[in-house]
Amino acid sequence: MQNLKIQFKIKVLYFLFVVFIFLFLGFNFCQAVVLYLEPSNGDYQPGDTFLTEIKIDTQECINIVEANLSFSQDILDAINFSQGESILTIWIKPPTIDQSLGLISFIGGIPGGYCGKIPGDPGPSNLLGKIIFRIPEITVREVGENIAKVKFLESSQVLLNDMLGTKAKLTTQGAEFKILSEKSEIPKDEWQKELEKDNIPPEPFEIEIHQDSLIFEGKYFIIFSTTDKQTGIDYYEIREGKRDWKKVSSPYLLEDQSLKSKILVRAVDKAKNERIAEYAPPISKKPFLYPYWIFILILIGIGIWHWLYKKSKIKYKY
Amino acid sequence: MMKNVQILSFLVIFILGGFTLGFYYTQALEGTVNISAEVPSPPPPPGGGGGVYIPPPIETKVIIEGKAYPGSEVHILKDGKETTTTKADSKANFKKEITGITPGICTFAIWVEDKDGIKSITYTLTFRVISNVITTVSGIFLPPTIDIDKTSLPKGEVLNIFGQTVPEVEVNVHVSSSEIVTTTTSDEIGAWLLPFNTEPLDEGAHITKARFQFNAEETSGFGKVLTFYVGEKAVPFEEIYSRVDFNGDDRINLVDFSILLSWWKKPNPQYDLNQNGIVDLADFSILLSCWTG
Repeated sequence: MQNLKIQFKIKVLYFLFVVFIFLFLGFNFCQAVVLYLEPSNGDYQPGDTFLTEIKIDTQECINIVEANLSFSQDILDAINFSQGESILTIWIKPPTIDQSLGLISFIGGIPGGYCGKIPGDPGPSNLLGKIIFRIPEITVREVGENIAKVKFLESSQVLLNDMLGTKAKLTTQGAEFKILSEKSEIPKDEWQKELEKDNIPPEPFEIEIHQDSLIFEGKYFIIFSTTDKQTGIDYYEIREGKRDWKKVSSPYLLEDQSLKSKILVRAVDKAKNERIAEYAPPISKKPFLYPYWIFILILIGIGIWHWLYKKSKIKYKY
Repeated sequence: MMKNVQILSFLVIFILGGFTLGFYYTQALEGTVNISAEVPSPPPPPGGGGGVYIPPPIETKVIIEGKAYPGSEVHILKDGKETTTTKADSKANFKKEITGITPGICTFAIWVEDKDGIKSITYTLTFRVISNVITTVSGIFLPPTIDIDKTSLPKGEVLNIFGQTVPEVEVNVHVSSSEIVTTTTSDEIGAWLLPFNTEPLDEGAHITKARFQFNAEETSGFGKVLTFYVGEKAVPFEEIYSRVDFNGDDRINLVDFSILLSWWKKPNPQYDLNQNGIVDLADFSILLSCWTG
C-alpha cells in the first residue's frame, strides 16, 4: 500500500515536471516570429485562380523579412504577386517568381519596424503579400493524389529592429492544396475580382533629385517611392523631356544631366491605375533688357526734332 | 477520494498559475497603445424647405496622441515618409489629426528630438484604417532619450547617464551585463540624470537603457541602448546615427537606403555597419531601425 502511494506521488511529480517543461517551452515558442500562409489548405479544380496570403505574427519588433518559398510547379502556376496592403514599404529585392524552378522570393523592410498587432486594431494588418496561383487545365501528374505544396525554405529569415541586425527565432508554416481531377463548376478567379474592385490609383508621391559623390559617381539621380493599398504597385516608368516612357526602378541615373528636361514618373498598379509625379525644371530668369532699338529710335527722334526746331528758328530770324 | 481531489486542485492551480505568469510576462512587455474607431454622426440637415437631405461624406481620419518630451517637435511619418509635425505641450502631451488617408494598412512612425538635440527611437504603429471612420491611436509613450558622458572609464568612476522624458515621472535605468536597475525622477521639464557608480561592474563592455513609469500600470518601452566600457581600454565611439547618415543631411531616409543598396553584397567598411566583411541584410536592418524619414 505504501509502495503504491510512493509510486503515485512519483507519477504526479513527473506529470507536474512535464507540464512545467511544456509551459516553459510554450512560452519560449510564443516569443518566436512566425511566417505562415493563409489559407493553408483548400480544394481547387483545374482553371481556378486563387490567392494565398503571406502573413507574420510576432511579439518582437522586426524590420526585415526575407521570404523564400518553393511550390509544386508541375501542378500549380504562380502567376502574380501582389504587394498591395503589405506592411513592407521598402524593397531590397522586389518579389520574383521562377515558375520553372517553383520558387518565389522577396526581401522587404519596414522603416522603424513592425511590433505586432495593437489592441483595438480592426485588422488584419500583418500581411506581407499575396501570391496568385492558378491551377493549369492539364496537370502533369497522372498517378496519385494531386496535392500542391507551398513551403518556406530554410533560407527565409526575419531580422529584429534592434539596431544590431539580429536574426529573429523563426518558425514557418506552409500550405497544401488539393487539386481535384475534374471540374464540377465554373472555375473561379479571385484575382480578377480583386482587379475589378481596384479603381484607386497609387498614393501621391514626389520625385527627389539628388547628387552625391557616394552614388553614381556624383551624377544627378532621382529617387521615388510610393505604395498602392489595393492590388499593389506593378511598375514605374519615367519620361525625361520628349523621350519615350521606359520602365525604371529607384534610384535612377538621369540621362539629362543638365536638369533642363521636365521629368515625369508614372506609378502603375496591378489594375492599371496610375499616378504621375512631375518635376519641372525652374524657368531661367534673364534680367529684363529693354529693347535697345527703342533707345536708338528715341535718340533719332530727338535729333530730328532738334534739327527741325533749329531750322524753324533760323527761318523766323530771317 | 479527498486526497485525489486535492491533488487535482493543485494541478489545476499549478497549470493556471503557469499560464497566468506567462501571460503577465507577455503583457508587461506590451505598451500602453490602444486603437479605437468611431463613425461620427452626420451633421443635421439645414432647417427649412423640403426635399431629400444627403449628408456630406465622412472624411477618413487618424488621430494620434500620446506623450513625448515637453515642448518637443514630434515628427510623424506615414509609410516611411514624413507627413506632418506637431508640438508637445509643457506636460509632454501631443495630439495630431491626420486627414487625406487612403483606407487600408498604414504604418505610422513617430520620432522626437529632445531639448539637447538627442533623437528618440522611431516608434512605429501598423494598423488598418477603415474608410469613413475616425481611428484614434492613444497611449503612445515615447521612451526617454538617453546619453552618457563617457564611453570608457576606469572601474569605480562615476558614469553620468541622462536624457529627457515626461515631467516628474520615475525613470528606471538598467545597466547590464550584470542587471542593475536604478531609479531616478525627471524634473519639471522632463530632464533626468543618474550618476552611476561603476564599482560593481566587471571590466569589459556594458549596456545601459531606460524607460519611464507613468503610474502603477503604465510603463513606456525602452529607448536606445548605449554601450560603454569599464577598464583601461579606450574605445572610439561613433554614435550610430552619424554612421548610418551616409550623406550627412541629418536624416536617415531613402537616400541613405539607395546608397546602401548600391553596395548590396559588396565589401565596404564604411557601409558595413556591423563590420562582418560585407554589406548584407543586417546592415539594412540597422539602417531601418534608425529611420527618420
